[in-house]
This record gives sequence, structure tokens and C-alpha cells, in this order.
Amino acid sequence: MSVFMDLNILAITDKKKLQSTIETAAHLGYSTVAINYVVEPQQKKQQIPKPESVTELFEKFPIVQGKSRPIKVLNRLTVVATDASHFRPSNEYKSFDILAVYPKTEKLFHAACMTYDVDIICIAVTEKQPFHCKRSPVNGAIERGVSFEISYTAAIRDSTMKKYTIANAINLTEVCKGKNVILTSGAEVPIELRGPYDIANLGLVFGLSEGDAKAAVSTNCRAVVLHGETRATALGIIHTMKRMQPTGQEQEEESPAAKKAKVVKV
Amino acid sequence: MDEEPSSYERVAYKNDSVYHYMKICLIFGNERKPLSAEQFKQLIISGLKELYGEVGAAFPFDVLTFDQFVLSAILRVYNNGLVKLWSALTLIGSCENESCAFRVTQVSSSVSKLILVLKSTGTSCRSL
Repeated sequence: MSVFMDLNILAITDKKKLQSTIETAAHLGYSTVAINYVVEPQQKKQQIPKPESVTELFEKFPIVQGKSRPIKVLNRLTVVATDASHFRPSNEYKSFDILAVYPKTEKLFHAACMTYDVDIICIAVTEKQPFHCKRSPVNGAIERGVSFEISYTAAIRDSTMKKYTIANAINLTEVCKGKNVILTSGAEVPIELRGPYDIANLGLVFGLSEGDAKAAVSTNCRAVVLHGETRATALGIIHTMKRMQPTGQEQEEESPAAKKAKVVKV
Repeated sequence: MDEEPSSYERVAYKNDSVYHYMKICLIFGNERKPLSAEQFKQLIISGLKELYGEVGAAFPFDVLTFDQFVLSAILRVYNNGLVKLWSALTLIGSCENESCAFRVTQVSSSVSKLILVLKSTGTSCRSL
């Protein structure tokens, strides 16, 4: 079972528009979306925005198509870093579920991969990546569980950006061999969203294999969300799930655990 | 363990079809434009050319049905052109300076499966 996620829906002040974007995402089959707040510290005195409480966004969250469950909405912060001083761990980061950094120079890219406590490293899509992704920092990031993000909205908007997006994406996927890549929208309006299967297919164009492309919209995103949760804790997190026991197998309740597992398997 | 070994029968369905069929639906951001079938196909071809160029886009595909009112269509494409056609559809973002998007409702290797669900998806397409 895999659920689809889109971890980049731009935060806009127009609440109605944001709502309709999230509704469209639910309709397309995304189970989780993240509202992305972008902060650019090189513009003077830009404050880190306070995330709006997601419960205030909807009275009743839209139902995900094909899942009969309401959509889950998270908050995400993206720090655009042009200088080493721009990214510094602070308490303000803690109010976000997911933390991303968009490094503009090679030095910062290296630092982001190896040391920064983030969940996502953004890859340039609106300009030619000014540096080449080297194998060693990328491998370091993969080992630490940090993911790389390619967002596709720029490619829909403009044909030059399309070129940059594809070039940078192929560049990345060659180095990281398709591991830890996530594909997100970065959409502002509902019309810029695409369905999860469309994006999995788009992943093939970016040089991912079929399995990696599907993981880029599902399991890798889940890993990012869980990685985001671990930042708030000391060590890690454990997820438990209630499992429905089939009613016909009640007499087997007392059998040892090993056997029970087998029964479930069959 | 006294469990008897379970017997499996592996049924592999080999897909012999050389075509894939896609059911798609065009939606507009603001106002809907009236499109003829020719314009519809031209829009897809221009999207293909933009992404893959003249040579890359030189593979045949057909518009089997086209509904002018809901702007939905069924396309038929050779298996090796599916990824190209699909990605081109994904990256089409505007039609005559009006923002638009293709919603791919279904992809299948046999047209009979597509027609079975045609009626049920037709309505959801319209409401999108």
C-alpha cells in the first residue's frame, strides 16, 4: 500500500485559493500535502513566518479520492540560503513539520548535505544549477536520510524553465542513482497540480527508473515526513497501527505469535 | 509445524496488445474555450514538439473519440510512445494563453476495459 503525497503547495495569503488547491489535491488522490512557507533571508530583515494552524484552514477536510479518509495537511518551511549565516537552527523552525533548505552555492550545498538538520534539499528548477552535484555530498545526504526535491510547476509554466528543470533533474538523478528523490508540485493554483500517476510518469523523463519514480511521489515522501517528526524528538519514532483481526480466526488468538504471523500471511 | 504446503498457481497475463489507450480530459483554469477535435489534437502535438522536438515527437497517436462538451477524449498510442505522450500531456500548461491541464483518467492496454468505466468517470471528469 502506498499513499501519495505532495509536499510542496505554496502558502498564499488568499485562503480561498489555498483551500481550492488542497481540495484539488485531494481529488487527484494525494493523501498528504504540505503548505510551503518560503523565507529568503538575504532580503533584509525577513521574518520567519508563523505557520497557520491547519485545523483553522478547513471546517471539514476534503476526502481523498479512493481512500475515504480526509486529507492530511502539514506545514513546511523552506529557507533559501545564499550565505552560511542564513540557515541557523532556531526555535522558530520547530513549529514546522518539515524543514527544507534551498542552497544557492556549492559550499552551502555541501554543508546542507553533510551537516544541516533538514529533511529536504531543494534543487534549482528556475535557473541552471550553478554548480555540479558531486557524488560525495549527495551520498552523505542519502546516508543521513535527507531527500532531494524536484518541483515541476516551473516546468509547466514556461518552456525555458522546463529545460532547466529537466537538465537539473537528470543531473541529480545520475549522481544519486534515483535514491531519495521526491517530486513535488510547488503549485499556487489548482490548475498547476497534476495527478500522482502523471508525476510518476514524469519521473521517467527525469531519468528515474519506474520503481524510483513511483517512490518519489509515495514512499520517499513518507520517509521525509517521518524524518521531519524525528527532528522534534531525541532519537526516533515508532508507528503503531491497529490491525483488524479476521473474526473467523478467533480461536487462534492463543497460538504463539510466530504462528499467528503465518496465518495472516496466508 | 503441521501446516501443509500451500499450492500456488501462478497466472501470468502476457500483454499482447501493441497499443495503449488513454482516457483524458482537458480542463481550463478560468474560462473554457471551445475546441474542435483538430484543435485538440494540435494542442497535444504542439506539447509533444515543445518537449521532444521534431524528431522526438515523430510517432503516431490517434484520437479515437472526442467529446466537445466535456473536452474528454480517448487516445491510442503505440506502447513505446506512451511515456513520451503522457509526459507531454503532463507538461502542457496553457492553451492559447489560457491556463489548462490534462487530467488523465485512465490508462489501459485494452480498449474494452476503458469503455467499461467510461460512463462512471465521465461525470467526475466534468465536475473537476
